[in-house]
Amino acid sequence: MAFLEEIQEIKMRVVEALKNALPKGCVLASDEECRPYECDALSAYREKPLAVALPETVEQVKEVLRICKAHGTPVITRGSGTGLAGGTLPLQDGIILGLSKLNKILKVDPLQRIAVVQPGVRNIQVSEAVEPHGLYYAPDPSSQIACSIGGNVAENSGGVHCLKYGLTVHNVTSIRVLNMDGEEYVFDEKDDGVDLLALLNGSEGLLGVIVEIKLKLLPKPDAAQLVMAAFQSVTECADAVTAVLEQGIIPAGLEMMDKFSIQAAEDFAKVGYPTDAEALLLCEVDGSFDQVQVDAKRVADILTSKGAYEIKVSQSERERIALWQGRKNAFPAVGRYSPDYYCMDGTIPRSKLAYVLEEIKKMSERYGLRVANVFHAGDGNLHPLILYDANKPGELEQTEKFGGEILNLCVDVGGTITGEHGVGVEKLNSMCHQYHGHELEIFHGIKEVFDDTGLLNPGKAVPTLHRCAELGHMHVHNGQLPFGHLERF
Amino acid sequence: MEQRFKQMAEQIKDAAAENKTLQIVGGGSKVPLYDDAEVLSMEGYSGVLSYEPSELVITVRAGTTLEELHQVLAEKNQMVAFEPPEYGNSTIGGTYACALTGPAKPFRGKLRDYVLGTKLLDGQGRELNFGGKMIKNVAGYDVSRMLAGSKGSMALVTEMSLKVMPLVEEVTYRIEMPECDAIVLMNKMAGTSLPMSGGAYYQGHFYYRVMGEHPKQTNRVGVEAVDNSIWKILNPFKPKLEPGQKLWRLDVESTNPCIDGTIAVGMGGTRRWVASEHKPDHPYVTLWDDRFLPRHNDGKGVKKIKQGLKKVFDPHHVFKDL
Ligand SMILES: Cc1cc2nc3c(=O)[nH]c(=O)nc-3n(C[C@H](O)[C@H](O)[C@H](O)COP(=O)(O)OP(=O)(O)OC[C@H]3O[C@@H](n4cnc5c(N)ncnc54)[C@H](O)[C@@H]3O)c2cc1C
Ligand SMILES: Cc1cc2nc3c(=O)[nH]c(=O)nc-3n(C[C@H](O)[C@H](O)[C@H](O)COP(=O)(O)OP(=O)(O)OC[C@H]3O[C@@H](n4cnc5c(N)ncnc54)[C@H](O)[C@@H]3O)c2cc1C
Repeated sequence: MAFLEEIQEIKMRVVEALKNALPKGCVLASDEECRPYECDALSAYREKPLAVALPETVEQVKEVLRICKAHGTPVITRGSGTGLAGGTLPLQDGIILGLSKLNKILKVDPLQRIAVVQPGVRNIQVSEAVEPHGLYYAPDPSSQIACSIGGNVAENSGGVHCLKYGLTVHNVTSIRVLNMDGEEYVFDEKDDGVDLLALLNGSEGLLGVIVEIKLKLLPKPDAAQLVMAAFQSVTECADAVTAVLEQGIIPAGLEMMDKFSIQAAEDFAKVGYPTDAEALLLCEVDGSFDQVQVDAKRVADILTSKGAYEIKVSQSERERIALWQGRKNAFPAVGRYSPDYYCMDGTIPRSKLAYVLEEIKKMSERYGLRVANVFHAGDGNLHPLILYDANKPGELEQTEKFGGEILNLCVDVGGTITGEHGVGVEKLNSMCHQYHGHELEIFHGIKEVFDDTGLLNPGKAVPTLHRCAELGHMHVHNGQLPFGHLERF
Repeated sequence: MEQRFKQMAEQIKDAAAENKTLQIVGGGSKVPLYDDAEVLSMEGYSGVLSYEPSELVITVRAGTTLEELHQVLAEKNQMVAFEPPEYGNSTIGGTYACALTGPAKPFRGKLRDYVLGTKLLDGQGRELNFGGKMIKNVAGYDVSRMLAGSKGSMALVTEMSLKVMPLVEEVTYRIEMPECDAIVLMNKMAGTSLPMSGGAYYQGHFYYRVMGEHPKQTNRVGVEAVDNSIWKILNPFKPKLEPGQKLWRLDVESTNPCIDGTIAVGMGGTRRWVASEHKPDHPYVTLWDDRFLPRHNDGKGVKKIKQGLKKVFDPHHVFKDL
């Protein structure tokens, strides 16, 4: 009770200070107003924030940070809340700093091929705004109509085209960042010495509040063609991808789906996917007209020689986009089969795909939970979607355990626990499996350099050493446990 | 090599205990030696640890020479797409530590873009592994990309995994024109769908490089096809200077107008080499000579962050600062 009373009191003081500092309507404090901010797209985790601040200018963001610092109030920065790892999960005693009102494209320079944007600008808006110049912004997460550029930088988001065009980190050339004192830093690709711009990409809101981003724009390719290929086994399909890459072709997109995903996507989008296939490959090549013609033919030939029993090459822009529709809607399509689904995000070497899918199948049987798999085949990013029903007691817990087991498997075959969705709160335990004590210490050290108050998104992304020790994941080196001084339970 | 790794860790631990300073040396193509520092040499700590052409990943020891790296990759028709400059005996570790990238930077990206993971010994001689061998990996802060450019001042990099790309066929064209016009033109062309992989200006000519299938160029007025040697002349760039002149490396926006004293423009306009006695008045300038000189252009806040990070990785100040 004492804790709750204390929170109420802090709340009153913080809300009052925020209301004084921000324009009318920019501070939400009632339960009802705050409800939409209680979770991100990982809606299984929810919490009520102390309040929500929605500043309209960078100066106001600075003011919010200063107020929170003065009151020792945690700040959880939020873009559009499409994160899939609970990165913006509120704390009872912390505020949500929502940046959706900082939504201006400040500058487009077509000659230099850059755009300067505020963090709340949605990903798709950038490409739409620069389209008249024949340019676009390459990273294209499936959530691109909703997710913000600030969130993209904080998560280092990827998209279906990132094998060829890179992740967010490859397409950002400069950022403006605030610390808890509201002081401003610029991290630019032209800086000398350690690469702080790279460090901030994927830092999940723990190292600073990103308030301005300079993006690299690319010329739109003349042409793109999609090759769809059906296979009788996952192994054959994976081997075919290997053959394409070995032949020196870097496709713009390279997506694979398993039987369940194919059926769900076809059911949903009705685009003509072969529902009897065990694995479906969508391989897009783009570039100059001449190059695309050569590459599409080469890809089709390679895939045929590697056992594709059905091949379709898009013959028009309309057909190309239509064929993508199934894949792009794979998550919601699979989601229709179940009240809830849980999206995993491991990466694995492609050579291990067949083995990993086989193991996941065994787990699926053991847990009695169905799984559909979609796979960014070029870069090894695997998204198993576990179907569950949150209303059945204990099923969410089982699902999380299942998910955790999948991630451990990814690490054990040489991969990682997250390719693009981030750690958030969701994968803290899995972090203990991937990293050891010394690395975690370094991570905490980095955090402290940027934020010695610990108020920026506390408890996310990097597990405490304590937590890992409790989980029993701590690495035993030469028979000695690191952090022997830590209490163990 | 395992023994060698242990020795390096011991050398660092001893230095920490005895308050000594260590100067990491890769190929030693440039690094100055100081009387007050003991050498930690990467010489011979080399070799490919794993290479999966179809996964587009290679893992090498940091003392591996660029020459060896190129050779191994070329056998599988692949390359390191950031085209590191060969200063003679350059190692991949030294290249990483200096974040050196070649002419395709605006088109194919820079060195750190291709770094997937590193193995380090920090200033306490502890083994650390960051990132991994995966093209996509957002677990934990991206330390392996962050340390690209750290110039041996934070940690010893012992291994790294790099994303590799297929070798591409490239051809070069040039047009005679004034520098200021060339800067505008190279920016304009980079905004078209022509698959460019280089844009430069040198001695009266605008040079551009194109990869793969592309529309015929030489039917355009003033365009002539030349060989690819210009990219080696500019990378590494080793001009003959007049007495009293110094060589300055400037990083600028690609559209930055002509700068006085420029003797070469590279990287699609983002790199300018200036020969002059005095430091050009620009925010991102490095003196390119036999000494390693820091730029001193960090603001107060950034400087404090860098000092803080140094303490995290090297609390006893074992590694020689810049
Ligand atoms: C249907 C669906 C499909 C998706 N597809 C993809 C995909 O293909 N690829 C992919 O990578 N992701 C995907 N995602 C995940 C998600 O969209 C991305 O992680 C996205 O970048 C989050 O952006 P956001 O604006 O919603 O961020 P939020 O969810 O609001 O925040 C995410 C994290 O970033 C931090 N943050 C946000 N803004 C800032 C800022 N300005 N400064 C500092 N920290 C900040 C937050 O604190 C939080 O930790 C998908 C999500 C959904 C729901
Ligand atoms: C005349 C000349 C001037 C140059 N000027 C500059 C300059 O001003 N700035 C610049 O960045 N580069 C400069 N270079 C390039 C650079 O110094 C090296 O030539 C390049 O890095 C090649 O690597 P190397 O193996 O020979 O490195 P070395 O010359 O041995 O070392 C270069 C730097 O990298 C560090 N290093 C090497 N290996 C490792 C490792 N495994 N782990 C951690 N740190 C390591 C060293 O401590 C040193 O700071 C210059 C080169 C020449 C020839």
